[in-house]
Amino acid sequence: MSDFTISRRTVLTGSVLLLTSTALPTIGLAQTPKKGGRLVVAADSEPRNLNPAIVASNGVFFISSKIVETLAEASFEGKDGLDPRLAIGWEGAADGLSVTFKLREGVKWHDGKPFTSADVAFSALQIWKPLQNLGRTVFKDLEAVDTPDELTAVFKFAKPTPFQLIRNALPALSSVVPKHIYETGKIEENPANNAPVGTGPFKFAEHKSGEYYRLEKNADYWGKDQPYLDEIIYQVLPDRTSAASALEAEEIQLAAFSAVPLADLDRISKVPGLKVITKGYEGLTYQLVVEINHRRKELADLKVRQAIAHAIDKDFVVKTVFLGYAATATGPVPKNDPQFYTADVPTYDFDVAKANALLDEAGYSKGDDGKRFSLKLLPAPYFNETKQFGDYLRQALAAIGIDAQLVNNDSAAHIKAVYTDHAFDLAVGPPVFRGDPAISTTILVQSGIPDGVPFSNQGGYKNDELDALIAKASETLDPAARTELYKEFQKKVAADLPLINVAEWNFISVIRDTVGNVANNPRWAVSNWADTYLAG
Amino acid sequence: MNPLRRFLRAPEAIAGAIILVALFAIALSASLFFPGDPQAIAGPALLPPFQDWSLPLGTDRLGRDVLAELFHGARTSLVVGLAAAAAAIAVGAIVGTLAGFTGGLVDEVLMRITDAFQTVPSFLLALAFVSVVGPSLGVVVAAIALGAWTGPARVARAEVLSIRERDFVAGARVIGMHPLEIAFREVLPNALPPVLALSSVIVAAAILTEAALSFLGLGDPNRMTWGGMIAEGRAVLRAAPFLSIIPGVALVLTVLGVYLAGEGVVETTAVRRSLS
Repeated sequence: MSDFTISRRTVLTGSVLLLTSTALPTIGLAQTPKKGGRLVVAADSEPRNLNPAIVASNGVFFISSKIVETLAEASFEGKDGLDPRLAIGWEGAADGLSVTFKLREGVKWHDGKPFTSADVAFSALQIWKPLQNLGRTVFKDLEAVDTPDELTAVFKFAKPTPFQLIRNALPALSSVVPKHIYETGKIEENPANNAPVGTGPFKFAEHKSGEYYRLEKNADYWGKDQPYLDEIIYQVLPDRTSAASALEAEEIQLAAFSAVPLADLDRISKVPGLKVITKGYEGLTYQLVVEINHRRKELADLKVRQAIAHAIDKDFVVKTVFLGYAATATGPVPKNDPQFYTADVPTYDFDVAKANALLDEAGYSKGDDGKRFSLKLLPAPYFNETKQFGDYLRQALAAIGIDAQLVNNDSAAHIKAVYTDHAFDLAVGPPVFRGDPAISTTILVQSGIPDGVPFSNQGGYKNDELDALIAKASETLDPAARTELYKEFQKKVAADLPLINVAEWNFISVIRDTVGNVANNPRWAVSNWADTYLAG
Repeated sequence: MNPLRRFLRAPEAIAGAIILVALFAIALSASLFFPGDPQAIAGPALLPPFQDWSLPLGTDRLGRDVLAELFHGARTSLVVGLAAAAAAIAVGAIVGTLAGFTGGLVDEVLMRITDAFQTVPSFLLALAFVSVVGPSLGVVVAAIALGAWTGPARVARAEVLSIRERDFVAGARVIGMHPLEIAFREVLPNALPPVLALSSVIVAAAILTEAALSFLGLGDPNRMTWGGMIAEGRAVLRAAPFLSIIPGVALVLTVLGVYLAGEGVVETTAVRRSLS
């Protein structure tokens, strides 16, 4: 722990700075970012594989997005909602068969070697397409990556691939890793997966299991004067209740991903020096979804699914389970998505009488004990809210005579039970909407997905019309026509209910007010933090 | 002086007995006072206690009646505690009697198995068992019994070792009784009292283990349990501490009651034995 000891010199420089700062006149209110300092943030899990090119998930991005950069990052103002990172320009061919990236000049890997188009080609062909959880679908038709010069990479597709999809996929799916480190040996077993090497503003320094991750400043970073911070420490705090106390005790300065329980936010927002921020997660909307196993004959009946949809009081869920920090959902695309969302879909009001009538109509009348049939309900264990919604859903179903038996599992057992063994009737899941339905939304509905692929349609649902629609949208090049197709997709999903969308939520950060430049892009928590600084 | 009067003279024993009687009354009357599903949503969420007299102890995060949950939770605690203790004592007494009465290789094998179980912390054993088999009431009872039968087995064996040398056992042999019949009809009943004295400790430990399992999310999720209530309340510990405190206090009182009443019984019988 020698890195954390306070030397006499740092104390002296600190006090000198303090003295001079009192002597300086205040120069207006606009704060210029200050250099230096250590940002300590709470981490609730310790991903074993830190390679974001292989595991594109928020738990990994939270740490590794500061080390390994993508071609572009999501942005509130930028063109197409993007901000350049390793690529400074991108252009899609009219036939949808190629996309050309212009790369940034003068970028160096953390080990000093230059970054070139060969690294992009290697990452795309050897990692994103064959190995990455999300890249497998988006880059499935990627055939080759041409590198006419060191700063140009041309992606060649076997089939027309919508440029809109590739653009939307850039922030999450395009982490570039160094070819010279990964080209020898098996990619999955490369030691750099645990100690990543990238081009980002911070270098991986060390990981003490159960204690912390430490990242240190990359002095050779391409961004002018960036990064501002000297160090980022991810303090491992698996217990959710401890994040709030650690913030209050000033042991940490940031708790992202709703590490502070929702019920504590009201109290903590009144603590001086702490801010509750709901911005900065617009690009990672989580959806609360009831997954349905259509192999059960009762659930294969549309009337039964409609009855379940009518039995769920979405407003109650938002108000009680999420304490207002969520929105009710109408369909498979969240309301806050600027490109694809449509409100023009069939809706299901909370109406117990109607739900009961639908079940009677379907021929499942109540037995002598008031029960129609029994179901196995598996709430996903990842969030407090999914578990709590499981408790609520059990009661909501009891009100319409469906006896739901809860089955609790840990994460690994839940994924196996639902996505491999199909040992569920209903499950509560939190899929993520990543800015384009083709990235991680259509696979929740599409048929023909092999067993064992997590967060996909494993409920045995098959609808040829929807499958055809998904296939057509995946090769429609015109953005407007493609958007129209996804609006049609939302309508059909809401009408046929392969799954029931209940609510959608974004995470919440609690942060010390001395931290500057926070929540300034739609994926802030998983962006590179090059411009984040500590004031005072 | 008869044992009942002696029992009633010890104040802690009376306190324990009162708590136990109250607990049984609560568990038995749960369906009477709170018919229907105790997990049904009964009012606004997170209502503090003593605000609304139809919901005297307030409501939890989903608006479920805490008092109803407490009553139905008492059932689970008692059922698990008694069933696990009964199973542990039954298994322990049989294993101990067989080992002590037969002696030789059988004794060696059975006692080494007992040793093996004793070297693994009983809570860890229960945790592993439930996470492999999957949580349900029967599994939880079995898991707790799995870690608790070794104590009764050792005590039973020690008793049997001394009883089997007595004259009446020799007599039974002489009249040609089958050895197993001697073991279970003649020896075991006489070895039982000290084994039963362990029951209060086992019941108390079983109730606590069940609560701990539920707290970790390994209880039966379709049943109200006090451990589960504490776990639920933990997420809102700062905002609504009563959700954790109420079932916590119930748990403390129950374990204390079982333990005090058990002690009272042991004291009473011990005095009677020494007098005789």
